[in-house]
Amino acid sequence: MKKLITTGVVILILVIIFLLLGPFFIIEEGELAVITRFGKIVNTYEDAGLKIRVPVVDNVIIYPKKILSWDGDAQRIPTKENQFIWVDTTARWRISDPSIFYQSVGSISDGILRLNDVIDSTIRTIISENYLNEAVRNSNNINNLKIEDQVQNVESLEDSEQLRNLTRTEIDQETISVGREGLSSQMLTMTSNFTAEFGIEVIDIVIRQIRYSDDLTQSVYQRMIKERNQIAEAYRSYGEGQQARWMGKTENDKKSIISEAYATSEEIKGVADAEATNIYSTSYEADPEFFVLWRNLESYRKTIPAINKILSTDMDYFNFLYSPDSLLNK
Amino acid sequence: MNNSDASQGKFHLSPKLIIAIIGVVILFALVMSSFFVVDQSEQSVVLRFGKYNRTVGPGLQTKLPLGIDKNFNVPTRVVQTMTFGQTSPSNLNSNFMNSPTGSSAGESIMLTGDLNIVDVQWIIQYRIEDPAKWLFEVKEKDKTIRDISQSVLNMLVGDLPILAIISSERTAIEVESQERMQTVFDSYDLGIRIVTVKLQNIVPPAGEVQDAFEDVNKAIQDMNRYINEGKQSYNKEIPRAQGEASKIIQVAEGYAAERVNNAQGDVARFNSVLEAYSSNKEITARRLYIEAMEEVLNSANTGSITLIDKTLENFLPVSQFNTVGGEK
Repeated sequence: MKKLITTGVVILILVIIFLLLGPFFIIEEGELAVITRFGKIVNTYEDAGLKIRVPVVDNVIIYPKKILSWDGDAQRIPTKENQFIWVDTTARWRISDPSIFYQSVGSISDGILRLNDVIDSTIRTIISENYLNEAVRNSNNINNLKIEDQVQNVESLEDSEQLRNLTRTEIDQETISVGREGLSSQMLTMTSNFTAEFGIEVIDIVIRQIRYSDDLTQSVYQRMIKERNQIAEAYRSYGEGQQARWMGKTENDKKSIISEAYATSEEIKGVADAEATNIYSTSYEADPEFFVLWRNLESYRKTIPAINKILSTDMDYFNFLYSPDSLLNK
Repeated sequence: MNNSDASQGKFHLSPKLIIAIIGVVILFALVMSSFFVVDQSEQSVVLRFGKYNRTVGPGLQTKLPLGIDKNFNVPTRVVQTMTFGQTSPSNLNSNFMNSPTGSSAGESIMLTGDLNIVDVQWIIQYRIEDPAKWLFEVKEKDKTIRDISQSVLNMLVGDLPILAIISSERTAIEVESQERMQTVFDSYDLGIRIVTVKLQNIVPPAGEVQDAFEDVNKAIQDMNRYINEGKQSYNKEIPRAQGEASKIIQVAEGYAAERVNNAQGDVARFNSVLEAYSSNKEITARRLYIEAMEEVLNSANTGSITLIDKTLENFLPVSQFNTVGGEK
């Protein structure tokens, strides 16, 4: 019994020692492993699980299988038209061939150093070979868009057209042939030629941000300010023009309304005068002789009382003043 | 150890007891490492010997003990927010991976398609959709999400003129950036679903440039004010002028009516008298004459009349003196 226990304990200890030497190892999901025996690669594992190795002599090197990030410093690069811009790029990569990676690179941090060299110079090459527009824009959609300031409160279609023309900032942008995504894939192709030797696959290189250099930024600000000022002035001046137009219209309308009224009133009066004249003449025609008498007497009634008079007795009216016989003598 | 064994000798630690204690401890450890809790907001990925085995839901779950099964809890129900270009408190959490070059202040400054500069702030919200992919496919996940979100926004903004970005194309940018980001993340097998991309402040660079943009709005207001002032003066003058015009016409019509009526009246009178006159011309003429003279020469109507004989001479000067004297 005691011997059995002793044997059991010995076996247990041996098993523990064996296990401690590590014949098993675990590769977790998202990991790769390279097995070296006396410095020589004997195996690589790309799948997760429990694996066996020869204890002591086999060395297990674990690498990440996951996609890794590469982030370079922003670089100040001249474009083809020699404008300096800051280009900030980022890339995704992974170890595609662990044995090549182990031989030619070794560690992840060394891998990043290699990528720094390759990607930085690639970006520099591609950016400086292309115009600024190619890096900024991705397509020619911009020339299909018509963006106009909203024009409100204008009198007529022509006016809004005029205002629109004044405030339009659209100038046709140069057409681009490659675009940002195009440049990215050029960079990727160019980099991939080099990184294959490292056992590295670069998945993508994307431009995270493009900025103008500081002095260029200031002049761009100035340009933007002037552009806005110019539009603001167009609005103000249009407003003042409209105001002047309304003033003129006021003056014009006022005069024409009053003068039209004058014309109409004179015409009305004229028609009335003519009618009156007609009425008089048709009536007076009947006996012109009596008309003369009648009209004269009517007129005397109106005029003579107001006149200072010294009358002579010569008047017919006074015929009987001295001689009551005069009528009889007649 | 020897020392303590000696002092506690009275307990008489038999090998059996030691084995029993070890057995209990091992059993306890086995039981403890066989259970794990998954929160309602989480899912848990279980690896067996490092290899993906299963994904389990919320509740008390079992696994093989002693590190044979390993569980990773992933908050799959939680919508996570990442902000760009602003310094809100939540930014501090998500920003820890940010590179020294992509500082938070500068990341929102972008070049537009017409080579202007605009400051765009935005947020993205996402949810982990596939916990296994989320855990094992991409290493620096937060940084990857930030990088891709930034590059997509930069590219879309770079494709549009500044006015469109500020006003009309906002929603289009949101929609398209969400689609593009999702495509990229799917290509990485990142296992996330973008819930929304929301553009927040889109403004021209602060300071003078922003002032210039605002000045355009002011200018539009000024323009409208000028136009209204013009209309105001028009409205002030024209209705009054119209009133005056109608007054002139009314007066003229009054004149016309008066003129015609007078004529008709005069004529009516003339006609009636004429009728009478026709019956006896001589007498009526005389009568009319005398009546008229009576009226004309009536001193009540006319004031003083000086009547002179036609044979009397030199009367005039006397009369003149009297008149002058009388006025004194």
